[in-house]
Amino acid sequence: MIRLVPHLVAKDLKRKARSPLGLLIVLSFPVLFAGMIALAFGRGGDAIPKVRMLVVNEDDGLLGGALASAFSAPQASRAFETRTVGAREGHDLMESGKASALLVVPAGFTRDVLDGRAVTLRLTRNPSEGILPEIAEQTAGILVDVLEGGRRVLDEPLARLRPLLDSKDAAPSDAEITAIALVVKRALAKNGGLVFPPAITLESELFGNRNPPADTAKDSGGTTSAIFLLILPGIAVYAIFLVGDQAMRDVMTERTLGTLRRQLAGPVTVGTYVAGKAATTALLCLLSLAVLTGIGAVALREPVSVPAFVIVSLALVLAITGTSAIIYGLARTERQAATLSSLVYLVMAFVGGSFFRLESLPAFLRRIAPFTPFYWATQAYREILEKGAGPAAVLTHAAVLTAIGGTLLALGGIALHRAARRGATA
Amino acid sequence: MIEAQGLVKTFGSLRAVDGVGFTVRKGELYGLLGPNGAGKTTTMSMLAGLLAPDEGQIRFDGVDLAARPLEVKRGLGVVPQEPALYETLSARENLRFWGGLYGLSGRDLAAAVDHVLDLVGLSDRAAEPIRGYSGGMKRRLNLALGLVHRPHAVLMDEPTVGIDPQARLKILEAVKGVAAAGTTVIYTTHYLEEAEDLCDRIAIMDHGKILAEGTLEELIRRVGGRELVTVRGGFAPHALRVVVEALPGVTVTAEEPGRVVLTVDGSGRGAVEVLERVLGAGLDVQGVSVQPPSLNMLFLNLTGRELRD
Repeated sequence: MIRLVPHLVAKDLKRKARSPLGLLIVLSFPVLFAGMIALAFGRGGDAIPKVRMLVVNEDDGLLGGALASAFSAPQASRAFETRTVGAREGHDLMESGKASALLVVPAGFTRDVLDGRAVTLRLTRNPSEGILPEIAEQTAGILVDVLEGGRRVLDEPLARLRPLLDSKDAAPSDAEITAIALVVKRALAKNGGLVFPPAITLESELFGNRNPPADTAKDSGGTTSAIFLLILPGIAVYAIFLVGDQAMRDVMTERTLGTLRRQLAGPVTVGTYVAGKAATTALLCLLSLAVLTGIGAVALREPVSVPAFVIVSLALVLAITGTSAIIYGLARTERQAATLSSLVYLVMAFVGGSFFRLESLPAFLRRIAPFTPFYWATQAYREILEKGAGPAAVLTHAAVLTAIGGTLLALGGIALHRAARRGATA
Repeated sequence: MIEAQGLVKTFGSLRAVDGVGFTVRKGELYGLLGPNGAGKTTTMSMLAGLLAPDEGQIRFDGVDLAARPLEVKRGLGVVPQEPALYETLSARENLRFWGGLYGLSGRDLAAAVDHVLDLVGLSDRAAEPIRGYSGGMKRRLNLALGLVHRPHAVLMDEPTVGIDPQARLKILEAVKGVAAAGTTVIYTTHYLEEAEDLCDRIAIMDHGKILAEGTLEELIRRVGGRELVTVRGGFAPHALRVVVEALPGVTVTAEEPGRVVLTVDGSGRGAVEVLERVLGAGLDVQGVSVQPPSLNMLFLNLTGRELRD
């Protein structure tokens, strides 16, 4: 009677289509969740505003100008929107809340630095803004450190330059320039080991040695997308499990409606009925995966291995069908099933690293993570999305998921068979 | 033809069906009449192949249900007590699903769906999702779902419970129409009037057993032309018993404070004489009712209680 399975599946899909709210809520959950996190912590495009930096440069020397223009340098301009203003205008803009921070370079700054006198730069922050004034403060601090370091390294050349600043002559003589040049050369040679190149460097990379492509880094939305994809796989796996749960819950619903009993009084065997529910569950999970994949693809804008994705997805669907079958096979009532499934899925998603990265979990949880299908599915999708892994790299994940799914489906099928028979005679 | 022989079903210590057996001829409308808990629904579940009997055998047109369940079920319609429907689908979609389940398709399916929609009077509402239907409409559709595949035999388990008189009438008309078309029907009910009105033959069930079986006339004949006299008032039942027991042809069938039920020989002055005696004894009588011979009286005679109790 296996020919009846498509008929049963078509009926269930039609019913789902007539009442899609539950499914839509479950599917929107990972997208909204990942999207919100990405927007909150990403720094792409217009999502995070720039630091509105005001600089009042009262210094007429070289260093004051250099400091003021540092905030407008190409790299800094990605995070800063800098304006050089007068003291009054700067005060007014701060008072009206139209700036994040105001940096005042005092008169005589260059001269004081060159003379080695203590000098203070004043930064005023806008208290109504959160993190942006902090960024301004940190950046200004770095610039001060750079200036201070430079002053110490080039102490002797600067001492020779100092008299020239006060000189009334139009230009220094060739001999003076040569002397200064020689001193600079010696200073750089002496500190060259530290300055060219720096002895200590910091290289940042993503876990697994996959650095983001250069064009992605330049992309204003790159970070947002990256965070979206960082979160999406785990939450999506959880959501698909919930979709499977909803689909399999129909076993209980049909029991309550009396339609299970009616079908079994007709030409539907218990085996056909169970096969129909399993097929509906699998199909709904696949459709939901396709929807989430589409959304992920829009966010990623980068090709991934389709065969790898398909292999993992099919294995995941098998695991979901098996897990939901065993839950609804074991539960005696709809309430019991709902409680059991919520508990099982939440714990497995947590332990399996769907909600948090495994690295952030305690060691004992990391050890039991591989016993959950969530772990294998989430890891496999991260391999594919973050490292561009192909089918070979996720074959183990898919094999384990298939083994888990197959075993659970076999056991769940037996349990469901008994549950359906029980339901028909209740 | 449907044959049930020696059916027994036990749940724990409860013997829900205890040796039930009957034969229903082709095209016959056979009623199982009994109070709630009599074992009617358990018997129907076994006939529908949902429950395996602990003992006994069921055959449909000579085919053993236990041996070839699918073959039997394909020709069988079931109308459960509670409507078993998909509420998000329309009546037509429900019917198409159930018809398709039994192998109907294309024009055959469309014609069968139209036919049963017309039979239960739902043609004009067929496209609406049934969650907006009234209870009576759902029961009518429930009946239609059991008939859409044109079964040889239909099991109807109290299809009129809890509905308004108009919907009930519609369902009873439809059942009569199905039987008139030659379909074998087993119909359970605890409404005397339905059994009397609908059924060719009736089996009276109680405590898992068939107590009597036959046509309405045959069953009433078993009452022996006796009338049922119910006396109500502020007297002790024992006092009334003492007064009437001496009368010939009078039997006290049931008694409780303020109410005594008697069966009286209806051939002579039976009921009148009882009334004269009771009033003459000075008992506080507030009401007397006399009913002609009926299934209710037979049930009372057989079980010591009325079917409505």
